[in-house]
Amino acid sequence: MFNKVLIANRGEIAVRILRACRELGMQTVAVFSDADRQALHVRYADEAYLLGPAPSRDSYLRGDRIIEIALKSGAGGIHPGYGFLAERADFAQACVDASLAFIGPKPSAIAAMGDKAIARSTVTRAGVPVVPGTEGEGSLSDSELLALAPGIGFPLLVKATAGGGGKGMREVRSIEEMPSLLQAARREAEASFGDGNVYLEKLLEGARHIEIQILADNHGNVIHLGERECSLQRRHQKLLEESPSPFIGDDDELRQRMGAVAVRAAQAVGYVNAGTIEFLVDKDKNFFFLEMNTRLQVEHPVTEMVTGVDIVKEQIRIARGRQMRYSQADLHMNGWAIECRINAEDPYNNFMPSTGRITHILVATGPGVRVDTGVYPGFEISPYYDSLISKLIVWGETRAEAIMRMRRTLEEYKIVGVHTNIPFHQTLMDSHRFMGGQYDTRFVEERFSMEAAEEGKVDRSPIAAILATLAAHRQTKLAAQFISRGERDTSNWKWLSRWERLHR
Amino acid sequence: MRYVTNIGEREYLIEIVDERHIILDGVAYEIDFDAVGDQPVYSLLVDGHSYEAYVYPGEEGWQVLLHGTLYPARVEDERERRLRAALGSHVAERDEYHLHAPMPGLVVSIPVREGQHVEKGDVLLVLESMKMQNELKSPRPGSVARLRVKVGDRVELRQTLLSVI
Repeated sequence: MFNKVLIANRGEIAVRILRACRELGMQTVAVFSDADRQALHVRYADEAYLLGPAPSRDSYLRGDRIIEIALKSGAGGIHPGYGFLAERADFAQACVDASLAFIGPKPSAIAAMGDKAIARSTVTRAGVPVVPGTEGEGSLSDSELLALAPGIGFPLLVKATAGGGGKGMREVRSIEEMPSLLQAARREAEASFGDGNVYLEKLLEGARHIEIQILADNHGNVIHLGERECSLQRRHQKLLEESPSPFIGDDDELRQRMGAVAVRAAQAVGYVNAGTIEFLVDKDKNFFFLEMNTRLQVEHPVTEMVTGVDIVKEQIRIARGRQMRYSQADLHMNGWAIECRINAEDPYNNFMPSTGRITHILVATGPGVRVDTGVYPGFEISPYYDSLISKLIVWGETRAEAIMRMRRTLEEYKIVGVHTNIPFHQTLMDSHRFMGGQYDTRFVEERFSMEAAEEGKVDRSPIAAILATLAAHRQTKLAAQFISRGERDTSNWKWLSRWERLHR
Repeated sequence: MRYVTNIGEREYLIEIVDERHIILDGVAYEIDFDAVGDQPVYSLLVDGHSYEAYVYPGEEGWQVLLHGTLYPARVEDERERRLRAALGSHVAERDEYHLHAPMPGLVVSIPVREGQHVEKGDVLLVLESMKMQNELKSPRPGSVARLRVKVGDRVELRQTLLSVI
């Protein structure tokens, strides 16, 4: 049984896993790229080793180097986090071959669920309903896909076979626009996953994206930890998650039915460790299997907040061959949790990614608040990795309390130096549709705009005008001090050097 | 010192009397204005009411982020205002538009060629950064000129990519 864990990831998730290891009294090994020498995960780990240059393919995707470091440092287990190598069956296999415990499912389960076409046919055989699309065929050519498309019907989605997180995904409204969109999807899939294969899936309109967290151990126990509502997305990137889902609410019968189906899907591939079954749920509460994520999810904290289960610790326990600490009967959802993904992007400029140095952070704290982050003041947000800089998670006794708490927390949280989407989340918290829980996967893109949402808000223009004027005045005054001679008792040169030292 | 500050359509006349007093559209207020930890986060007390905002210079003028709302503001003192009035406001329309990289990244595609006419909103260039492909669009109609990059180039923040004239 291992007592030292290598974390093959970076950012907030590496820090999250480190924390679990620390609390379990386990030794930790971090790996990092040239761009991450000063990152929090390097600072918090017991040991840290350089992988290589900043681009992922030269660092965090170098499975061979990571295994070498694990063996050299004596780490017995590797936690892949999410993204990077987390869903690469070949990497999981390489770990097993090197007698290292991969903290995740068996390579065969990753392979079965990772190829979405195989995943669909596997769960269909287990009696789990799926969304119509091209299944079982694996890699199809453009002409084959174009021939199959009318049978599925428009609108449809082109999705990367090896994909996730909205990369290599395109929405197609007509056959005419399909060839160019196929090209774009393949190009993006190739760049992101090294695999340009894509498949087609019917786009269910007005659907919600609800997922079930499952845990399975090596002793044949499989349990589910309830659902997460993930419908608030933009370009298929999740922005906010909550648990429970306001759509399921107190319909515990539906929750248990979805949970049972999720457990069945996991059992169909002999699943072990933590995983998530994603469903699309239509307005009549019919649900369809979308895919299984064979890893820890970004949004796992909302489940942790309402169930009290530390999923990462449970993952490590399972990887060490132990039984889970919970049975289905032990699990109850208590209260309500919401997570806002704080990304380095500008909501006032089409969510354009923002890079630069974080100069200052005022952290949001107080009752019921959890912040998972990998950044600190002085940290440089580089263009090499994704734009997630922090996850703000709150718990409330009721959904209403959670929303009020999130509002309060977002107002307290200040990150200076890069643009963040905090104003987007603030606007969302004020939206009546969000408050009413009435949203689907298209809400952010089709029925939400920063400008329109601002119409109903309290107008603080006069205060803003005072602030802008005082800030401008202060700047003018500073500039003027260089040119107005003789009004100071010290010389201008002395004053200038003092001023420069202050602003270095 | 007297300023004219515009937020959207509205215009505010603000006189800074001294450190503690301002007059906004003829009404006097007692204020206390301070930067938090030497950062562009400011705490403002107006007659005892407390506000906190992120105030930073933008492309043109100032950006004030207050209670989850962004207020773009233009602040001019009386001299600047007279100057601008003398120059007229038609300068902007003749200006060329230079597309600068909003972030460092990789040029994935350039769907336009030099000399091509584009409409407002047309995609000029696709830049990959933070694992996302970002479409950079033209803010005005015109023709593409001085294409300075090619597909596959890595570009730095604020590097000029092309112009629309």
